[in-house]
Amino acid sequence: MIRKPLLAACLASALALTTACSDSGSSGGGESTLTYLTFETPALTSTFWNDSIASAQQQAPGVKINRITSPNTDRDAYAKQLQAAGQFPDLLQSITPANFVGAGLLQPYDQTWVNANFLLPEGNALKGKVYIPPTNSQVIPQVFYNRELFAKANVAPPKNWAEFLTVCDKLKAAGINPIELGGADPFAAGMPLVGIISADVLGKNPNWLRDRYAGKVRFTDDNVVTAVEKYRTLVGNGYFDKGALGVKYADSITRFTGGKSAMYPMGSWFLGAVPKETADNFGVFPWPTDDGSLVIPFTVGGSMAISAKSADIPGATRFAQAWSLDPKNLKALIEGDGAFPMLKDKTLDDYGVTVTQVFKDSYQYVTDQNTKVSSISWATNDDALPPGVNNDFYAASQALFTSSDVRGELGKLDKAWDTVTR
Amino acid sequence: MTRTSRAGRKNRAGGENRGLFGFAAVAFGLYGCFLVLPLLLSLRSSFTNENPLRATSSFVGLDNYREAVGDEQLRASLVFTLILAVGVTVAANVVGVLFAMMLNRTTLSYRVMRTVAFLPQVLSGVIVGFVWQTILTRDGLLNSVLQRVGLTDEPVAWLGSPNLALVSIGVVVAWILTGFTTVVYLAALQNIPLELNDMAALDGVNRRQRFTRVTWPMLAPGTTISVTISLITVLKLYDVIAVLTGGGPADSTQSTALYIVQLAFTSDRFGYASSVAMVLLGLSAVIALSVTNVLRRREVNL
Repeated sequence: MIRKPLLAACLASALALTTACSDSGSSGGGESTLTYLTFETPALTSTFWNDSIASAQQQAPGVKINRITSPNTDRDAYAKQLQAAGQFPDLLQSITPANFVGAGLLQPYDQTWVNANFLLPEGNALKGKVYIPPTNSQVIPQVFYNRELFAKANVAPPKNWAEFLTVCDKLKAAGINPIELGGADPFAAGMPLVGIISADVLGKNPNWLRDRYAGKVRFTDDNVVTAVEKYRTLVGNGYFDKGALGVKYADSITRFTGGKSAMYPMGSWFLGAVPKETADNFGVFPWPTDDGSLVIPFTVGGSMAISAKSADIPGATRFAQAWSLDPKNLKALIEGDGAFPMLKDKTLDDYGVTVTQVFKDSYQYVTDQNTKVSSISWATNDDALPPGVNNDFYAASQALFTSSDVRGELGKLDKAWDTVTR
Repeated sequence: MTRTSRAGRKNRAGGENRGLFGFAAVAFGLYGCFLVLPLLLSLRSSFTNENPLRATSSFVGLDNYREAVGDEQLRASLVFTLILAVGVTVAANVVGVLFAMMLNRTTLSYRVMRTVAFLPQVLSGVIVGFVWQTILTRDGLLNSVLQRVGLTDEPVAWLGSPNLALVSIGVVVAWILTGFTTVVYLAALQNIPLELNDMAALDGVNRRQRFTRVTWPMLAPGTTISVTISLITVLKLYDVIAVLTGGGPADSTQSTALYIVQLAFTSDRFGYASSVAMVLLGLSAVIALSVTNVLRRREVNL
């Protein structure tokens, strides 16, 4: 007797599972259900995503959004896991299109719509096609500094590399840790190297990354080695805290804003973490070059990519376009994530934002005429590193904190690049 | 008492057997679905250049295994994993025996302490990782205490220097495993006949000799289980390291399991990741079988 209820329960469970697993992509009544991969940070909270989705849905009727959240900020890795499990989302927020376009997984946006709405329509284009609307930009890195500690050491923001070293020296002599580094998080450990290579190598040859793809240049070339040796100079001279590789990214922010270090090379999203009450105590300058010329490592970011496998590409596109042009979403990104808006015919005032002076100073480097280059390891366009090489780049940054074998570490990068792209 | 006929007993036994077969079928089904099938799929994948972002893949024969032989990063991850496995197994088992000896009482307070000792084992590795991270980071609890009592002038980079990070991870993993080893050794201790110790005491054997000549040999079956499972646990360790160091700094704490995940989901090399997984599986099997063999022989010799 007992076996029959058991059997019935098993069958019921199986049916329930079958029902739950089957995804028609439509909930009936002409409304399609789309999955949207997002991620959360202290600035981009669950509430932000839910509100922004609700707002975009009003402008894109007929679309129901099922939001899923990446377990960490590495959206690309999670999207790949979902793809491997046959669950590639219909919409994906802030991914690196280069990782997915080769597999035909992404749907390009209509170029006319892109041209009509954005300041840099080709800002994150891949082989001429736009897979994420270029809604905002970041400078990665800039050097943020603490005015009070600079005054204490009697130094001013440096204009070139030699002055930068002098500033570091004087700060150290005054008993102040010159540069903060959240070295326990690989991406944060890579910031000085991103600054140095972007300024010294890409500043002189903005096509360097494309040349690397073409095999015309290598990381072990003398100019790259010379540039990276500057990082060793900073380490060797003791301008970073000795235990910097044990400092988490979140702690590095707290340490810098708490006055434990004088300078902090970081992406402009740090602007969202500047405490409002002490914002005037922080200033910013670009990563210094040898001759003092301004080179701005620049990355055009954006909103969401659309899956080419989506059951409702028109609906997904309507939703993505509505989300991307919603000034309220840009407001949250500007205030909380230090994003510089790239929508056409709009000023900061049009977003109704309240920003600090250091934000305005930082933003000026985006709007001014200067040499803008792709921020190495952060670009999402044709200058993006091959899949997986970002990790090697960050690992090299950590390794060079303790190893003086610059050429050896750069050789590993070349090897990783060649392995992935062969 | 009623007598049951032979036919009745046979029928009842047949029914019970059918019930047992049912349970066994479910167990085999689950085992097949969630262990054997993925294993076979992974084995097949290890002979291909499968990539999650490519629609098709092709058979590459033994290419992946040939690459694994010359893969310096794999070698480094295996060396790290083996050092960690040996260190943690020794530490967790030594501490486990000590704890078991201390907690081998039946009073309420000892039972509470046993629960406390076992607690790390039931916590998720991710949670343990986050808790220890707050203790071991540069401005964490440990450095604060050390500086406050004047033992160090500068914060120690527990997770920020390659050698110290290895030791730190080892301590954390040993701490987790000690709960398990303690319980195993406690069970083994409670199986030792009291008379043996009493007789040894009567013969004038001191405490240290009683441990080395009576208790320790009698713990042999527990040692076999505890050492083998500790080794296997560390050989496939992923979660704690992923949270504590993410394999850093500069890949210096990259376990082989972590390397496999990186190959699959960062470098998009499912095929090669599968072959490395097979290498790890083979290595783990060889180590586990060898260790079990040696320890079982010790049990028999006693």
